[in-house]
Parts: sequence; structure tokens; C-alpha cells
Amino acid sequence: MACYMGIDIGSGTSKGVIIRDGALEVHHVLPSGTDYRITAQGLRDALISKAGLLAEEIAGIVATGHGGGIIPFNNKHVADMLCCAKGINHVFASARTVIDVQGQSSQVLRLDGEGQVTDFAISEACASYSGYFLEVIADVLQIELGDIGPLSLNARNPVTFTTGCAVFGESEAISRVSEGIPKEDILAGVHNALSGKISALVNRVGLEEPCAISGGGGLNIGLIKRLEKSGIQLLVPPHPHIINALGAAIIARETRNLQ
Amino acid sequence: MVLIYFAGIDLGSTMTKVVIIDNDEEIRARVINHTGAEHRRLANKVMEEALEQGGMAFEELTYVIATGYGRMTIPFADRNISELTCHARGVYHYFPGVSLAIDIGGQDAKGLKIKEGKLIDFVMSDKCAAGTGRFLEIIAAALGHKVEDLGSISSRATGKVTISKTCTVFARQEVVTRLSEGASLEDIVVGIHDAIAGRVASMVARLKEGPNVLFTGGVAKNIGVVRALERNLGCEVFVPDEPLLSGAIGAALLGKEITLKAQARGEPAHREKRHLDEATFFT
Repeated sequence: MACYMGIDIGSGTSKGVIIRDGALEVHHVLPSGTDYRITAQGLRDALISKAGLLAEEIAGIVATGHGGGIIPFNNKHVADMLCCAKGINHVFASARTVIDVQGQSSQVLRLDGEGQVTDFAISEACASYSGYFLEVIADVLQIELGDIGPLSLNARNPVTFTTGCAVFGESEAISRVSEGIPKEDILAGVHNALSGKISALVNRVGLEEPCAISGGGGLNIGLIKRLEKSGIQLLVPPHPHIINALGAAIIARETRNLQ
Repeated sequence: MVLIYFAGIDLGSTMTKVVIIDNDEEIRARVINHTGAEHRRLANKVMEEALEQGGMAFEELTYVIATGYGRMTIPFADRNISELTCHARGVYHYFPGVSLAIDIGGQDAKGLKIKEGKLIDFVMSDKCAAGTGRFLEIIAAALGHKVEDLGSISSRATGKVTISKTCTVFARQEVVTRLSEGASLEDIVVGIHDAIAGRVASMVARLKEGPNVLFTGGVAKNIGVVRALERNLGCEVFVPDEPLLSGAIGAALLGKEITLKAQARGEPAHREKRHLDEATFFT
């Protein structure tokens, strides 16, 4: 009965899991805050207590994500791309493409049958490829992030954003609000814009089905529906946002078993 | 000789500018006001302010040209002309030797290659906030300072903190991180000025022009960006006294030229029944 922990310190939220005998036991999510060390310790304590374990019972810990490199107690730091591939392969062994939509970047990975990355496209230079674009517009409209996806599906006349820039998109959304355009139509517009950018990333590596989605974007039904409308059928895991943490825990287990 | 007047109104993304000139091309009124979300509709108020300053009535304006981002929405203009054309005309008026004009406004950056007052070629960036005034506004807010103070802050710097991120959103985080790591505010601001200047300098490099560079737009008021542009372009950069007004002045001057041509043909220049109405923003 070996337990392993994976910790994913993201730009906005941090996710952690414990796996027992290779299966997901518990998971936990915290805001990343400004001090990643404190966040990581908080995650570890919460996970251990949720699982009813003692700290000594965790046989290995792998950290990943934006802030994964600086946490004090991990055995190993692994790039999020590898954790994502490993996590998706665990949930959907058949997946050959993964779209990982995070708070500040998006990546599209091509996988082989073993869950190894064979090709990838990543966008981390521009915020408009990421969940950040949605967050900014949700803020303007004063709508909870969890509600924007479903609301966007009620749009009658989706607005077209003339800009691909998250900063200019914010002013554009403010203008549309002042013109009396319904929030649903504005939300549909920003989802369309993000979906278009992600499709372009997918085209860079080429789509091989089945394709899965992970990251916070996988929690957004509005984004999923639009990607599907553009011809990308998606496998959606039960907890898409913890895929990278799950992958990290699996890597911790594999590393241990090799030793 | 009867005095006649020509007006140019430049409705920018951030500021609205009005210039009224007389027949001798002397400036009789100049007003700069915030465009704002609501004021965008009230361009007529800015025009009224300029008329009051110049002491003339709207009916005394022989020709009115609208330019800038919002030029299509001005109902009281006789004509609207692209900001590129108006800028080219305006900067030539300030600086007849100009060969390259760089304009950095609130939401775009432009490079204009000019020969004897005529626009030969241009480059423009309005797809991304990096390299525009918005970039500086957002960084200034993150640093807790006014955007108009960045220039003098940078003058006190002893070094430079290089900003590696291009995206405004990510650069803002980078700046906050550097500050929390103990980097000096002044050195960070120099890095920010270098980031915007570097981006604009590489954009205008395609025009292969210089060394007579004139820098206009709101960002030209920032001495730190002027110096950073000089470092990046490797030549001196000139800034006119009122760098925001080149588009409006160019528009007013073009109004005079159009009027003279119409008169030479014996035709009336301006539209009939022109009224100083609110901008019809929603139609």
C-alpha cells in the first residue's frame, strides 16, 4: 500500500493529489497566492489529512507547474508537459492529443501509445491564449469564473472581438457593456476568440484523435463546446484541472519503482 | 482680408484633440481632453471648448476634418481623413526635414516614412498592447505611480532591470516580482521604457529611415521613452512642443488645402446644413 503525492503549483491555483496503489485517492485545490512555499505546505497538509495518512506514509513527492521548482519538500521537480502527458495517459490511455488550457498558457501535446510526448506546441508569450483572457472578461462582467462557460452558451448574437490581445479585449468588453450588449453575447465572443487561438495551436502539431482536454479550461463547458464545434471532439476527464498533479504523483511512483 | 478658420479634430482612443487654425496657419485654439467611454460621444463638447477658446462661432469654420480612431462617428465634420495622412501632414509642419515619424498613442504605435510631407510607407501595430501607451499605463498602475511620472522616475535610475516578457499581462507580473525581490523602482522603469522602445524600434526598422526622427503621441511626453528610443535607434529623436496635436494640426492644414482647391474650381468646400451635434456613436 504505497502512497505518492503530486503537487502542481499553477499561476493562479495550486492542485495536489495523493494516489494509493496507482489510483487517485484524494485531491485538493488552493489559490497559489504569492508565497508558493506556504501554498505547497498547505496543500501537503490538507492532502495528508484528507487521506487520513501520516506524512511518513508518503513514499515520494513530485512537484510541477509554474512554481513547482521552488517548493521545499519535493523529491523531484518535473516539467508540466511530462506530467500532463502522464496524467492524461492514466485517465485516457487511448488519447493521442492533449489540449492543456492553463491560467497563463496553453499547450497542445501529441502522445504515443505509452503516453510519451512526440510533438508539442506551446503558447506562453501572450496571455490571450490562456484562461487569463476569460478571467479578464469575467471580471469586467462581474461574473464568477465557474458561470461564464454555461452562460456563454445562451448567447443569441455573439460579439466578434476585433483584437486578439487580452488587454485590448478588456477595453472592448467594457465598450460592449456600455453599448448595452448582453453579457452572454460578450462571453460567447471571448470564448470564440480563445477557441480560435487554441485551434491554431492544435493545427501547429496536427490533430490525432482521440483528443483530450486538461487544465482549468477543461472545466469550462463553453470552451469545450466551441472547440468541438470547430471539429475537435474531446475526451473530458472527471477532474481536468488536477491532471498535471495526478501525472506528477504517477511519476513519483514510477521513479520509486525504478529504484 | 476676411479671416477664415479651419478645424481638425482627432478622436483618439484615449484623448480627443481639437486644433483651429486661421488662414495664415496660426493656431487660434487647441484643446486636449479625455476621450473616455462616455465622452467619446461628446466630441461636440470638445469642439465647443475650442470655439470658445478661439472666440469664434461654429459657422465661422470654413472646413472641419475629423481624424483618429473615432473619426467616422463625428457628425459635424465635412470630411474624415485617415490619421496616417493627417499625422504625416502635421509632423511635416513641425519639422519639414522629417524622414521618419514615430507616433505612440494609447492603443497603437505607428511608424511613418515621409518625404517632403508626403506619406511614402508606414508600419503600424494595434493588435497587441505591448509597444503602446496602454503598456505603460498598466505597468505604472502596478508600480503605484502615475504614468506621467515614469519619465522623471527613470531619470534617477543608476542601472536597468531588463524586462523579459513581451505580453503586457506577463510583464506586469514580472515587474511586481522584480520589485518584491528588491530591484529599484527607477531601474525597473528604465527596463520598461527599453521594452516599449525596443519593440517600436524593431517595428520601424523595416522602413529603413532616419536619422531625422520625430516622435509624437502621448508617449512622446515621456522623456525616458525618448531616451530609450534614441538608444534603440542609434540616432537623435526630436519631440515637438505639443506631441499630441500633430494629427489635429495636420487635419486642420489639410482642411485649408481642400478649401483652396475647391475655391480654385469655384465650388463651395464644406457641406451644407452642418450642425455641431453629438457623435452618433451607436449607428
